[in-house]
Amino acid sequence: MPALPRSEWYDLTRDMNWNVTYVEESEVWPEDLSHSLDIPAEAWWTWDEPYKITYPEYVHNQTGKDESVYAVNQVVSRSKLFDNLDPGWKAAILAHYGAIAVPEYTAGIGEARMARFGRAAAWRNMATYGTLDETRHGQIQTYFPHGLLAREPRADWAHKAMHTNEWGAIAARHLFDDMFTANDAVSMALQLTFTFETGFSNLQFLGMASDAMQVGDLDFSSLISSIQTDEARHAQQGEPTMKILLEHGKKDEAQKLIDHMFWRSWKIFALLTGASMDYYTPLEARSHSFGEFMNEFIIKQFTDQFRDFGLERPWYWESHFLKELEWYHHATHMGIYFWRPTVWWNPDAGVSPEERDWLEMKYPGWNDSFGKIWDVIGENARAGRIENTLPETLPMICNMCQIPLCNPGGYLMGKLESPEPFTHIHNGRKYSFCSEPYKWIFVQQPARFQGHLSFIDRFLAGMIQPPDLMGGLAYMGISPEEMGQDATNFEWAMPTPIKIKAS
Amino acid sequence: MAPFPVQAIFEGDFVVLLVPVDDEQPMTEVAQAVAHHVVGKRVPAQDRPMKVSYQGAELADDATITSSQIGPLDVLRVAYA
Repeated sequence: MPALPRSEWYDLTRDMNWNVTYVEESEVWPEDLSHSLDIPAEAWWTWDEPYKITYPEYVHNQTGKDESVYAVNQVVSRSKLFDNLDPGWKAAILAHYGAIAVPEYTAGIGEARMARFGRAAAWRNMATYGTLDETRHGQIQTYFPHGLLAREPRADWAHKAMHTNEWGAIAARHLFDDMFTANDAVSMALQLTFTFETGFSNLQFLGMASDAMQVGDLDFSSLISSIQTDEARHAQQGEPTMKILLEHGKKDEAQKLIDHMFWRSWKIFALLTGASMDYYTPLEARSHSFGEFMNEFIIKQFTDQFRDFGLERPWYWESHFLKELEWYHHATHMGIYFWRPTVWWNPDAGVSPEERDWLEMKYPGWNDSFGKIWDVIGENARAGRIENTLPETLPMICNMCQIPLCNPGGYLMGKLESPEPFTHIHNGRKYSFCSEPYKWIFVQQPARFQGHLSFIDRFLAGMIQPPDLMGGLAYMGISPEEMGQDATNFEWAMPTPIKIKAS
Repeated sequence: MAPFPVQAIFEGDFVVLLVPVDDEQPMTEVAQAVAHHVVGKRVPAQDRPMKVSYQGAELADDATITSSQIGPLDVLRVAYA
């Protein structure tokens, strides 16, 4: 133990800044990697994190967390807990592992970039812990699914997904490369930690841990709770960075960074968490609808933050975001279900008669829009025409989020004026977008996004052979054994058996 | 006659589709090509003819991709008349 009291040595270890004299500042902190925005070096030295921790405390805490969560995993792995989980919940956690585990490692690259190119020693100190956090999250979220392999071989996708060209993996890489792998320190502090982690994933992990306990998944609940405690700490890099930007008249830059990443975060959040909460989680275990969760937690927190910092809500808040809340995740869920051979989990339709009543109650108008489409899918399932519940062509893909263009779904629900995608010609190439905010993000920084080829661009360029759905599946790295299937073998569509009371 | 990709939206469906058509096919056949992926799968069949619209205007049944000056990946909307 240190001989001195913590207060006498703490600042020396966390906040030792100095002026560089042998080299130029711009050589130590290049603008491309630091994005200092001409704010003077000494101003950055006022960076002050709200949650402080020493390295010995960090190691002590993290060791305790690991011991606890791995102990739970050791016990649960010997039980039949996973076998007995609801099929929809299994879909939710397999989707989560594939989309999140390896990106946690790449988030470690982002944290390490802040640990090197952040403009204050205290910030770099905090980001070093963040790097270690994200490394731990990558390890733990590949270790847990590894233990499931004997029961569910597709748990392998926790590691495999991000190394394939599966469409969801392309979408996740496009987002996370933008957010951290290919981002500078200041933008990352506002986009990864302030917007994505503080605003979305920290709250999402709290909700998922609670839902996991509700469905009896002790293993996943302890895992996600353990991660959330790290997130709550390292996500706080955003706030002090934001304060410095605002104090130096950089509100417009800060606002633009947040408007950009809020929209991106919303889209991936709706795709994964929207389906998990409103379709995959068993009805009896749902504490909130996705819409309620968004309103009570995410929107409230963002609104409070915007007010506290004197920022504006993103320009698309009323006109696009609040409207999409009512329809977007219903459409992406339906897309994932219909194109289920293209994902590594078994999507749960989640539209049994009781579930449909719940959806209509939570989202008035659902029955007259998405419900009518599910009627046709259900009729085909009941008649044994399973081939009619499967795709024969590809959906168009947004050139920003890389998610299918579901605009007609918003039009069906009366939330969009047109079912057509937003298009933009840049350097002679036509780009299609799911939304006006995505077109705006692209137009702000075309050089950053123009070279990426969506799955459809690759298909039309002849990169996917043979040029059909099976060729597409092979390109995605999905074998016939791995293709997603209806999670309940169409139980949701079958008539409810009549219960006869014993006399 | 050449294969030609369009973005297609069938009324009542929830997603934009990539549909390969032929640039000399009449619109009646283009409509059928789009309907193949939607009707009876996500939208109920109706005993009515279908119409194709492009940039807000309904196209004649005998119009083609070429005669209508439709570009690659332009958006066509198909609906029961």
